[in-house]
Amino acid sequence: MSPFVLDRPAVLERLGDDEDIMFMMLGMCCDDVENNCRELSEALVAADLEGLRRAAHTVKGTLASVSDDDGAALAFALEKQARAGELAGAEALLLALQARLRHVAGVLASVLASR
Amino acid sequence: MDQVLIIDDSQINLTLIRALIIKQGGCEPIVFDRPLDALEWCRQHVPDLVIVDYMMPDMDGLSFIAAFRALHGRTEIPVLMITANDQKDVRYQALRGGANDFLTKPIDKFEFGARVGNMLALRAGQKYLANRAAELEEKVQERTQAIRDRERELIFRISRAAEFRDPETGAHIQRMAYYSEIIAQGLDLDEVSRRLLLEAAPMHDVGKIGIPDLILLKPGRLSPEEFEVMKRHAVLGYELLKDSGSGIMQAGAEIALSHHEKYDGSGYPKGLKGQQIPLFGRIVAVADVFDALTSSRPYKRAWTVEEACKMLEDGRGTHFDPLCVEAFFAGWDQVLEIKQRFRDEEIPEL
Repeated sequence: MSPFVLDRPAVLERLGDDEDIMFMMLGMCCDDVENNCRELSEALVAADLEGLRRAAHTVKGTLASVSDDDGAALAFALEKQARAGELAGAEALLLALQARLRHVAGVLASVLASR
Repeated sequence: MDQVLIIDDSQINLTLIRALIIKQGGCEPIVFDRPLDALEWCRQHVPDLVIVDYMMPDMDGLSFIAAFRALHGRTEIPVLMITANDQKDVRYQALRGGANDFLTKPIDKFEFGARVGNMLALRAGQKYLANRAAELEEKVQERTQAIRDRERELIFRISRAAEFRDPETGAHIQRMAYYSEIIAQGLDLDEVSRRLLLEAAPMHDVGKIGIPDLILLKPGRLSPEEFEVMKRHAVLGYELLKDSGSGIMQAGAEIALSHHEKYDGSGYPKGLKGQQIPLFGRIVAVADVFDALTSSRPYKRAWTVEEACKMLEDGRGTHFDPLCVEAFFAGWDQVLEIKQRFRDEEIPEL
């Protein structure tokens, strides 16, 4: 998976060139990362397929909103697996997704810091 | 200010949509991250637009829409559902299940603005039509009331016209109408019937318009031939009123024709007996006779109420329906109050 680079023009275009809303959204993504990671882990440990599906779905939406297509695809894969009831291999996907989330959060934090 | 209800369990989405709604202008965002709390709010409030996410814990978007639409008065409120791009089947279900439109994630501000704008315009149209309907209904009620008031006034003046040549006064038709209503109350007639009787009773002698002065205004006793002419006023009144489209005039026609019938069949014009005589006719017979007896005329003094009551008592079962006489006496306090209120020297008001 290639490193995440924020496609600022694409995000801005979708938000109607509204920088205020864009930076607000980037900030919230960063703030929510550990919460998202925790929800994923707790659902997997509890073998809560529905909870895992919802958590993966939420992360998919978050990553798509910052135009991280690779990360969103990873989250979608986990979501489908949870929907299909397949826990085998879910842990590897989950760990990859958590790593991706933290990586993206790091990039977004840098963008916010250099504002 | 339009109230936009936003339900999404993701704080990022809630915050983003809330910010977009504020930027839309003219909107107040109401946000909930739990659909059940939002539904509770909806029981007491009516939003102008609902924006709801599909995937939520406790209750998904489709279930929320179904529960929302089931609340009274919420079937027309516009609903936008938010779904991921890959959930075509969910979008179809949403549209079938009561959503007006959908938004796909990630949210695009222009698309968001356009769809929200369309939904709010739809809502504005609904509210305009509802207000217009309410205004028109109010106008219709006002106009209907005005028509009814004019009808009552017309009836009263027609009734008075009949009495003008006759020594009886306008106060007489007011009194006997209220006496009739008192009897109707004593007989447990419903409010609509009592009202009808009150408004129709004044027309009981409208047929006197067709009786020659020579007979109508004769101060002394009428000869048998003269009495036969006078009796025609019952049929004349009926003929005058019977073909009216007004319910009050039709009741007046029935009263005009039957108020001189007697319970034992010895009355006129048809010699009807007992229950054959329409009830309104039996009621007005009591009211009219009592008032005629207790009123002064150029050719007679007013009887005392005691004398008149004895006359009614003596006439039970012969002249008068016993139940009507009983109902009249049951409302005696009201009868005296009416007698006092509508005295002959006063000009009666409508």
